Amino acid sequence: MNKKLPILCPSCNSELKVQSLKCDSCETTINGLYNLPLLLKLEQKEQNFIIEFMQSSGSLKVMAQKLKLSYPTVRNMLDELIQKITKLQNEIS
Amino acid sequence: MITKLFNPFKYIAGGYSLIIGVLVLLFTALIGFFSNTHFPDLISVKISPDLPLQYFIIQNLSNWIVVSSIFYLISIIASTSKVRVIDVFGTQALARFPYLIASFIGFSNSVDNFGKYILWELMQIGEPIELNVSVIVLAISLMIFTLLLTIWLVVLMFNAFKVSANLKGYKLILLFIAGFILSIFLTGLISNQLIQIF
Repeated sequence: MNKKLPILCPSCNSELKVQSLKCDSCETTINGLYNLPLLLKLEQKEQNFIIEFMQSSGSLKVMAQKLKLSYPTVRNMLDELIQKITKLQNEIS
Repeated sequence: MITKLFNPFKYIAGGYSLIIGVLVLLFTALIGFFSNTHFPDLISVKISPDLPLQYFIIQNLSNWIVVSSIFYLISIIASTSKVRVIDVFGTQALARFPYLIASFIGFSNSVDNFGKYILWELMQIGEPIELNVSVIVLAISLMIFTLLLTIWLVVLMFNAFKVSANLKGYKLILLFIAGFILSIFLTGLISNQLIQIF
């Protein structure tokens, strides 16, 4: 099963942090309090969009063909993503 | 299905929609020439006098070029996205598809006769004309159908502007209304000049 990484608290909707990391091989566990990396704060479909965009060498035309959407639709999706990332960056800094 | 009908621009834009859209405009002009149906401003559908084919072609193309130019200018001023001219012109051309259907309306004399009938009955303008019930029902049905096509056209134009300019919220609505009204005014002026020329 492909589990979804929760990024928001289901109780109060605040941003979640990483408290524990575990090595699958030797079972070493590290405890602490770490912020999620910016890209992991995006929704799964937004992360997939970024991966596909990179695999298309940053070509919106190729992306549009892959997703079977028009060029301006894909450009609008990218612009929305850029706005969201900028907002997240501003929140961090 | 509904998205494809009212917002095909999610899937089609750019050069592809420009080619289909220009073909739609040319066929609209050709059918309008044979059916005597013209579009004397951005959204009006009227029965035309006998005019040459060039008139119908120039009128259809000017309606499209005027609205596309206005929306393109608005887009480059108001949008933060990189707006492509081919998307604005292509989507606005394709948005005029409902009026390809509307151009067939003139093949029926019922709307023209019903107009003459109303003018005589209410204002004693023209000549008296006798109409049977079936003609009146057909004329009213065609007028309602034309109104629905006009609504479809406006929704398509709005979505074409929304997708190609990437605007949202009140900014999108206000700028669309402003561009739309300005286009109606300018296309009306151009059509008046065209009728005088031809």
